Amino acid sequence: MASVRPMPLSAAARPFLLLSTSVLLLAGCAAAPEASPEVESGASADYCARMVTNSGGLQDRSFNQSSWAGLERAGEELGIDADVIVSTTETDLAPNVAQAVESGCSFVLTVGYELAAATLEEAEQNPDVHFSIVDEVVEAENVKPIIFDTAQAAFLAGYLAAGVTETGTVATFGGGNQPPVTLFMDGFVDGVAHYNEVKGTDVRVLGWNKQAQDGVFTGDFEDVNKGNTTTKNFLDQGADVILPVAGQVGEGAAAAALEAGNGLIIWVDNDGYETLPAEYRPLVLTSVLKNTADAVVDIVGADVNGTFDNAPFVGTLKNGGVDIAPYHDLEERVGADLAAEIDALREDIVAGTIEITSPSTP
Amino acid sequence: MSTATHDPGTSVAVPVTRTDRRHVKAPIALGVFALLAVLLFVFGRRDGVATFQLSRAADVVQVPNIPVPSAPTGIVLAFVLVALSILSGWWARSGRRTPTWLVALFAALFLLGFLAWAAAGATLPIAGLLAGSLALAVPLIFGSMGGVISERVGVVNVAIEGQLLAGAFTSALVASITGSSLAGLAAAMVAGVLVSFVLAAFSIKYFVDQVIVGVVLNVLVSGLTGFLFAQLLSPNAAALNSPPRFARINIPLLSEIPILGPVLFRQTLIVYLMYIAVAAVYFGLFHTRWGLRLRAVGEHPQAADTVGINVAATRFWNVSLAGAIAGAGGAFFTLGSVGAFGKDMTAGAGFIALAAVIFGRWDPIRATLAALLFGFASNLQNVLGIIGSPVPSEFMLMLPYVVTIFAVAGLVGRVRGPAAAGKPYVKG
Repeated sequence: MASVRPMPLSAAARPFLLLSTSVLLLAGCAAAPEASPEVESGASADYCARMVTNSGGLQDRSFNQSSWAGLERAGEELGIDADVIVSTTETDLAPNVAQAVESGCSFVLTVGYELAAATLEEAEQNPDVHFSIVDEVVEAENVKPIIFDTAQAAFLAGYLAAGVTETGTVATFGGGNQPPVTLFMDGFVDGVAHYNEVKGTDVRVLGWNKQAQDGVFTGDFEDVNKGNTTTKNFLDQGADVILPVAGQVGEGAAAAALEAGNGLIIWVDNDGYETLPAEYRPLVLTSVLKNTADAVVDIVGADVNGTFDNAPFVGTLKNGGVDIAPYHDLEERVGADLAAEIDALREDIVAGTIEITSPSTP
Repeated sequence: MSTATHDPGTSVAVPVTRTDRRHVKAPIALGVFALLAVLLFVFGRRDGVATFQLSRAADVVQVPNIPVPSAPTGIVLAFVLVALSILSGWWARSGRRTPTWLVALFAALFLLGFLAWAAAGATLPIAGLLAGSLALAVPLIFGSMGGVISERVGVVNVAIEGQLLAGAFTSALVASITGSSLAGLAAAMVAGVLVSFVLAAFSIKYFVDQVIVGVVLNVLVSGLTGFLFAQLLSPNAAALNSPPRFARINIPLLSEIPILGPVLFRQTLIVYLMYIAVAAVYFGLFHTRWGLRLRAVGEHPQAADTVGINVAATRFWNVSLAGAIAGAGGAFFTLGSVGAFGKDMTAGAGFIALAAVIFGRWDPIRATLAALLFGFASNLQNVLGIIGSPVPSEFMLMLPYVVTIFAVAGLVGRVRGPAAAGKPYVKG
């Protein structure tokens, strides 16, 4: 009597089993060839640049995507070898930065605050390699931080929202209580406050208290369902313009606003009118833009020309690093007067007559 | 045929004995919460009136808003709660158990007091609060139904998260290609079944540790969907990742019931499917031959085998069924809520569903209530954050988890799962 013998499955079960395993295997094979981007080999063949994403991946419609767009463009324009290492989990980060350094490239771009520790460590061990990190300040001889004063652009968005709202209530929420997120929220709240001051109105902002530096957060940057219910809660409280600062969770906000019928959203990082599904286009009032791509092209260009420095690049309205997107379908609702007021505000901020401060200002 | 593979001592279904002579757990728990109520509602009382908004503008029957003066309500409730906990303690002294209705009443009054306290000077939209709770709970309920069936038949299902995520991904893809959200829902169930097949094959046929297979499957599905999302869906979002969403269907009459009607019966097809799934799993498990066999296999596979039930096949097909149910829950993230798929969009819902299974003592109705409790706590923290709660947001984000831990530790206590869950059955 054999003591251990596999139980035979019923005959009917077997084909399904085979099918499921083979589907998984096939799925794994099919898309693989697309994975590695074509490597350009141009004039400066000896110069190469590597980028390491955070766990958000390349198609995050946020800083990973725009940083890679910048590095890709730098590769094409300058004829250098550029490639990207995609991190999928938190534990990938440090090994991927090490791998980027070991590739022998003289320029390594890392994206996001999660990569700060790994970047600093590798920068100290490899003083000859030039590093740049997006959205975080790392102080070292050979690291150039790329950061954005998004509060300046969010201020304009807040003023716009206050001018457009019909209910007298606007709202914002974040994915987590972190400086790069709350910087948007601070600027937004100040923009609304400025509108109230100028026009003598009483537009309320839900979801963020600048004094207390606390507000509404979904707790992660993935769960769109939470973004959806959060936004419904805001709409229940009478808000009609919502600024989600939570990556793809913002898509849940767009879905809730679309269903409610009277909600508008303000997208962040890139122009939501172009990056969101087409059904949401009529709802996108504007977007708070972070022009990461241009900054990356400039910095790689400077490094190729031998003029790398470690002074942080701070994107502002003045240097075009941040701005708000066109109003697209909602241009009529915004109206020429409000648009002109916002253009004037932009001039004032650039000229320094209006100063926007936040505890999170870089 | 006679070789037994498991320890007879643990496999016999022993009725739970009421061992604690003095039932002190409930009075202590109630006492702690009564003390908390006194601290918050009396010493930390907030002035102002909390307005409970019971109807939304679109509702057929309009219930007027109820203004609740915060401080007096809180003080009165705090004293009632103290009285209830004393009553519970007095009963414990005389050796009586605290009845469930008293605990339920206590919880309801505490919640009322807390809402009146937290919403002082603001409007609390009750209908929105409940609707959001249900929306957050739907995928958890589907996931926990999958968990209940799988564990009842003897296979620990840690792969719920993977089944949800596979369902979400496949439903978005198929619904986008076919233009039919029904096809997307069916595809989500197939995707859940495929994940289950792997779990079932490894755990039933090859006796691999079920928990490890489940964990690995979650990582596999996350990686696979993340990869396909980046390489396939994102570049062709218009064609492959813009599924049509399910429209809301108003059930006549039922949706006109004040307060709860619009919340429960102005929903999408997936939510109605969930009601049916919960009822069907409950009825099936406890009132049909299928359920009896399923539970027999999960409790005592050898006995089931002896009477001619094919243990491996029963486990295999029921684990597959569990996958189909969990997969349908995944479709809620896309077709029922937002539309497009996003990387790792289930964000741990499968693990909360797993907790709901255990919290619900492997019972479909109790697991559903547990999932609803979690959904309610999640949405409550959100609504309170919006109306300006005095509690920091980081603490508020912990609320759903704290409530779940308290509920599991305090109310459920020691639980006994299906005896043979997690144990491969090797026929002698």
